[in-house]
Amino acid sequence: MFSFQTIIDNLPVLAASARYTLLISGAGCLLGLIFGALICVAAVSRAPAARAFAGLYVSFFRGVPLLIQLLLAFYLLPLVGVNVPALAAAIFTVGLCAAAYISEILRGALNAIPRGQAEAAIAVGLSPRHIWTRILLPQALKISMPALVNELILLVKASSLVTVVGIVEITRMSQAIASATYRPLEIYLTAAFLYLAINLVIAALGRNLERRLAW
Amino acid sequence: MMELDLFREYGPALLRGLGVTIFCWIVGTACAMALGFLLALVQRGVSARPVQWILRAYVEFIRGTPFLVQLFVLYYGAPMLGLRLDAMPAGLLGLTIYGSPYFAEIFRAGLNAVPLGQIEAARAMGFAPATILRRIMIPVMLVSALPALVNFSIILTKETVILSMITVPEIMFETQTMMAETFAFAESTLVLALFFWVFVETISRIGRRLERRATHYLLDRS
Amino acid sequence: MTLAPSLTGTVNPASARLENVCKFYGEFQALKDISLVIPPGKVTCLIGPSGSGKSTLLRCINFLEEYDRGGIWIDDRLIGYESVGGRRMGGRALREMRRDIGMVFQQFNLWPHMTALQNVAEGLERVKGIPRARAHEIAAEALAKVGLGDKTGNHPSRLSGGQQQRVAIARAVAMQPRIMLFDEPTSALDPELVGEVLGVMKQLAAEGMTMVVVTHEMGFAAHVADRVVFMERGELVAQGSPAEIFQNPGDRRLAAFLQGYLERNSLEL
Repeated sequence: MFSFQTIIDNLPVLAASARYTLLISGAGCLLGLIFGALICVAAVSRAPAARAFAGLYVSFFRGVPLLIQLLLAFYLLPLVGVNVPALAAAIFTVGLCAAAYISEILRGALNAIPRGQAEAAIAVGLSPRHIWTRILLPQALKISMPALVNELILLVKASSLVTVVGIVEITRMSQAIASATYRPLEIYLTAAFLYLAINLVIAALGRNLERRLAW
Repeated sequence: MMELDLFREYGPALLRGLGVTIFCWIVGTACAMALGFLLALVQRGVSARPVQWILRAYVEFIRGTPFLVQLFVLYYGAPMLGLRLDAMPAGLLGLTIYGSPYFAEIFRAGLNAVPLGQIEAARAMGFAPATILRRIMIPVMLVSALPALVNFSIILTKETVILSMITVPEIMFETQTMMAETFAFAESTLVLALFFWVFVETISRIGRRLERRATHYLLDRS
Repeated sequence: MTLAPSLTGTVNPASARLENVCKFYGEFQALKDISLVIPPGKVTCLIGPSGSGKSTLLRCINFLEEYDRGGIWIDDRLIGYESVGGRRMGGRALREMRRDIGMVFQQFNLWPHMTALQNVAEGLERVKGIPRARAHEIAAEALAKVGLGDKTGNHPSRLSGGQQQRVAIARAVAMQPRIMLFDEPTSALDPELVGEVLGVMKQLAAEGMTMVVVTHEMGFAAHVADRVVFMERGELVAQGSPAEIFQNPGDRRLAAFLQGYLERNSLEL
């Protein structure tokens, strides 16, 4: 028998664990945006070394499954003397991974900005730093907003993988409750709908933001 | 010395794991593609409202939830509904379901991109709808959809490691078994990471070459 | 449209001198040994068929396009290189020289995420270091002078082509350049909007700005220019006063070009 009572009983605890899901995906996305912008600048720079680094970075973080990246950070960081809490390591890893995807998103957006935009800035005499921060990146961000919102949704889902390093977010919590209550179907479905709710809200907020960014 | 011993002991299991990974990837991708194509056809061909709603809900649900949680529902939850699956079939079914809406979207966009004039030309010549689909729409659609198909298939290679979480004995699972017995956590994970890096890079390259070959005739005109 | 008495305040116009300028794209030579003097306070129009290299030449003057041989001097300072045939100029020095050179583009190239006011104020703030409040004042004045005092808060997408191009001119003029480059400023405009942009340019000319204008508007070249330069296939074919160029085209290629222009335009009428 499908037990709604189990769902009602456990929903508060499960929903509370969503704050870790949100923290990891949100902070990871923010880190990813910062690193991703830097990688993107490297990828389009004139210096061959910077371009090569960006290429390797993107290829590695997109080629290796996030699950393995998380384990790598979990096992490797202590070996090289970095002792950070698992949560920090997880956020950092998710951020590094997101940066690879976000840098590609931004690069595509940069390609969509007409050349004349930078030329006008050069003609006015803006410095390279200002051309990036005032002219190119704001436009790139706007163009890539739908893709970035999508990336955040992907990260919310990907954050379920941090269970392997022991952080009690939605998925890990649902595992614990499922084994305690012997009600895996109800609990895992509840977890699934929690994720769905979060992502539908993000998608709606994203659409709202896009409308407001219309110039 | 030690590495050699390790390999002698765990090599066969790792190789078997690799085989399972590749098997799951190929079978899972093929099934997901097939289901995705079916969904795209239904979405295009059946205009009944309830069907469209169900389809929409299915797509939203699958795309809005983590693959890992979907696997847990299938493997641990479904037995309560009388659907008792071993790890491997559950994993394959999971991959099929998980990939289907993404493939459906790719196929839908591809079908929409077939110029109406080409379909009308076939209709004017008296082709049956099924023939038009098979002989005109699918070939034309495949060309424009190929890059996205290749891309998502590559993404699925990486998703196969998540099958280890429901004890499918693929390469990640075998590596973790080895780690638990040898305590060589960091080294094993590093090797696994490097392996995937090379693996995914290789199939990406092969994929791009296939794309070029398949669309070669489109480029030769100018 | 009523314009304020002065767009620029006081201008201290610069001259430019080009000597044996060459530009290559791989094997293709886009500019062949161009030598030309741009007198201060005068309007020089570059005319010629598309692909003749006139836009490329214009873009070399502020080093948006890097010429490969020869030299271009603004007043007496070489732009782009430390010496003729020498090393590339440093970024800072190049930016400093570009402050004196305003540019207006065919596609306006206004920054779409900024209002008209912000477009004009951006350079004042970031390049000249003028505090924001003062920069906005200057920008508002500059916009008023091109007849857009009521459009300062509009984003470019809410402006007509002619209005956008006037904002672009205000953006360049507000920086108080000493020479202005115009790259086909009216080519992207609907015919009925051409006049308002040419009007602003005429006023700039009347105030004694040094102007180099790549244009297809033969009327503007004939009536406003002091010098007209005809280019074809990367070569400078003929130059002279408008009277010399338009009324008595000695060169066969120039005559053919003008004949073609007249025929096209009478057909349109």
